[in-house]
Amino acid sequence: MSIPLHTTPSAGVSMKDYSTQTRCSWCDGCGDYGIWTAAKEALVELGLAPWQVLLCYDVGCHGNMSDKLQGYRFHGLHGRVLPFAAGAKLANPKLPVIAFGGDGASFSEGIGHLVHSVRSHYPITFVLHNNGNYGLTTGQASSLTPQNQPMNTAPNGVAEATLNSMDFIFSLEPTFVARGFSGDIKQMKSIFKAALVHRGFAFVDILQACPTYNHFATHTMLMERYYKVEDEGHDPLDFKKARALAINTGKRIATGILYRNETVPNFIERLVPRQGKTTTLVEEVEKVDISKLMEEFV
Amino acid sequence: MTRVSLKIVGASGQGIDSIGEILAKVLKRSGYCVFGYREYPSLIKGGHASYQLDFSNEAIESTEMKVNIVIALNHHGLEHNVSDLKAGGILIHSTEVWQFPKEQQALIERLSISVVYLPIEKMIADLKAKPILSNVILSAFLWAIFGQKAESLKTMVGEKFAKKKDLLDLNMRCIDEGFCLKKEQHKDLTVTLPKSSTTWKKHLLLTGSKAMGLGAVHAGVRLFAGYPMTPSSPLLHYIAAIQNKTGMVIKQAEDEITAAQIVSGAMFAGTRALTATSGGGFDLMSETVSMNAMIENPAVFVLAQRPGPATGLPTWTGQADLLMAVHTSHGEFTRCVLAVSNAEDAFGLMSEAFNIAEEFQISVIVLTDKHIAEALYTEKPFDQKKMIIKRGLVTDPEKRRKLVAADRYDPKVKNGVSLRWLPGSEAATYVAQGDEHSADGTVEESARNAKEQIDKRMRKAEWLKKMLPEPELFRVESARPDAARPTGTGEVGRGKWKVESDESFAPDILLIGWGSTKSVVLDALKDYPLTTNHQPLSIAYLHFTNLWPLKTERFSALCSKAKKTILIEGNAQGQLGMLLKQETGTPIHHRILKYDGRPFFVDELQSLIGEKLTTDH
Repeated sequence: MSIPLHTTPSAGVSMKDYSTQTRCSWCDGCGDYGIWTAAKEALVELGLAPWQVLLCYDVGCHGNMSDKLQGYRFHGLHGRVLPFAAGAKLANPKLPVIAFGGDGASFSEGIGHLVHSVRSHYPITFVLHNNGNYGLTTGQASSLTPQNQPMNTAPNGVAEATLNSMDFIFSLEPTFVARGFSGDIKQMKSIFKAALVHRGFAFVDILQACPTYNHFATHTMLMERYYKVEDEGHDPLDFKKARALAINTGKRIATGILYRNETVPNFIERLVPRQGKTTTLVEEVEKVDISKLMEEFV
Repeated sequence: MTRVSLKIVGASGQGIDSIGEILAKVLKRSGYCVFGYREYPSLIKGGHASYQLDFSNEAIESTEMKVNIVIALNHHGLEHNVSDLKAGGILIHSTEVWQFPKEQQALIERLSISVVYLPIEKMIADLKAKPILSNVILSAFLWAIFGQKAESLKTMVGEKFAKKKDLLDLNMRCIDEGFCLKKEQHKDLTVTLPKSSTTWKKHLLLTGSKAMGLGAVHAGVRLFAGYPMTPSSPLLHYIAAIQNKTGMVIKQAEDEITAAQIVSGAMFAGTRALTATSGGGFDLMSETVSMNAMIENPAVFVLAQRPGPATGLPTWTGQADLLMAVHTSHGEFTRCVLAVSNAEDAFGLMSEAFNIAEEFQISVIVLTDKHIAEALYTEKPFDQKKMIIKRGLVTDPEKRRKLVAADRYDPKVKNGVSLRWLPGSEAATYVAQGDEHSADGTVEESARNAKEQIDKRMRKAEWLKKMLPEPELFRVESARPDAARPTGTGEVGRGKWKVESDESFAPDILLIGWGSTKSVVLDALKDYPLTTNHQPLSIAYLHFTNLWPLKTERFSALCSKAKKTILIEGNAQGQLGMLLKQETGTPIHHRILKYDGRPFFVDELQSLIGEKLTTDH
């Protein structure tokens, strides 16, 4: 089932439309290059011109993408990208909105927002740049860094247990969960395209190489272990199977669209006052006559 | 001015508010200006609470400390509230067997207080009604001793139960019983009300929170995100309650950070969105205020004050968050702080706040307090003619097509306000960049750019300050010590006090305040003896609504002429006084500061002003 985008695709959009003069500042071999390219390709293939999209960035290495492509963009506070993106989407549901965030912010300071964004089922796409550490602040442990792994703030190894991010996400009963790998642009692109037309909140986990600080899940290691679930006939409607595939990464890492359910109404669809409305909150800003509302106070 | 006050006391959840609201509405409809004030602990059931109504045929927006009538719904009221009564007051209760302790009995006799016992429990049992209906019997009894007709009360209560015949009949019987009780057993008990005035009949009776909600709807607010916190919650409740009529999106967020971010995202996308909180919640929002400053995103935050620090006094009032509003968040940038004074302002300042936020692309913090949020005001139906929505957006598609990305944060613009256009517009795209950035939002850390951009954002304050009005000045004056002071009824009387031009005006006494203090100061001055040591006296009150940037010309000019200056504030430091001194170097001679969680009471304030007037310097 495909949910149409609320905006009319533009003709003749190309990769060039998304390019900027700003030079990339990521380390050689950083997974952000791949995610950046896949995101632009997905937008182009969906026929979305830069002025038709809103790209929201959290703070971290990935956030430095904010001036490396075109589009209406926002680069905000550490951990807070989801509620800002949700607010923008609620105001203008015609605007396709992607929120990008790292594992550091999203599973620490911003974890509450993540929980409630899944629960609220806002119709936005969330791309998790999952490189297993805090890159931009120079290699501290995130809650997804393996326990005992020596990091900058934990030279003796991380004392805390590792958060099982996928098990956690599945416990929230999401409607769209996908996993990609920063070394496979083509697959990421198709995941992003599916996420962008998803009815509600789409969670996209991208396993991202961090050549400078992540020495435990390297590009080579991810390359060797990842496989595509669609190649093995996985049914993305099978929640139980999807969860199992997502969690068990010991030997092989399942990627692709793990779970997808288009039958659950999103947040906006569930709002009683918005039923039947064809205008956006942006279009509705005007002086409102409150004479009727005043009557109950006389 | 003749004012009457009554206070209903009992346990939270006993129906105190219900009697208060019934009586307030029927009084207003019968031609009185009513002001309602609630006191309650931070509990749902139990705990000692009160609902006080002060009313008059003239404009009234304040509460007295000593009242004419106390209605005690339980014995705690008999224990605690006898001393709230004025001489000749009436104490009504329904505690069957009650013996006052010696001291209280002596007080009752000394002040000639009438103690009236009503067998409400028995009456309710006879009527086979639920205990909650004792509120209707009590309201009716009071209505009877006010010398009013049962019909007006019946009409009003009838509206509430129009669709529930059984309940309607029972309510009507309770009203009859209340009247009967007065007629048969308390024939001589009467309270003479001042002559009613038709002025008030068509007025609205509503809380500051509801006035604010109406103001937000009128101003075109389409989304409200909030996290519950007294005293901002009543605004959230009201906006939520009317959502099916307004079509607004209401989001109860998971925390205040979320609420602030949702609202910021929604404003960024181009709607008008509002959030409200109290001090603790605003602490959490402060990072977002800073973020909006950097991306030059308009936002409006309602900060409903209650005493802190920490959880403090959750259900009480104060004015202690002014300095926080003015100084909150890291970095240097332009912001605007406004303070609501009463229900009229709560309505009007909403559109003003959004216009300032959008025209200057800044955060506007609107201060209110528990007193305004929950007090009941008698208010003229709000004027809907004068408001104009100002958005400061490039809306013309032709102009939009000519935009370049570097127009968005162009540091060269006059006044510091660059062009703003919305995501989704067919135009050049830009980054709303939280890092320091160049004109199109690209990250840029050069020394030259950093200075230019900070200057740009700071420059808005100069323009904003020029656009904002000077504080309002009110004066009360008499030529002779015994001359009549300006009276008149309602707003007319109050309007006459307002001074438009004060070049030649030199008051003896200059009072200075902000926020909810305005109502009580003006009520206090209405009845104030305008003499000191038998000399005629002119008193003026300078009221600040725009608290940052602070306009100080009028203040400085008046201070140089006034014999005595008195600061009146609901905090411990005299925070407005601190800001005024910081901006002008002029200190204020005297300070009346209150920070016990209670608002200023009109009789209390009169005597506090009196004390300052008799001080010799």
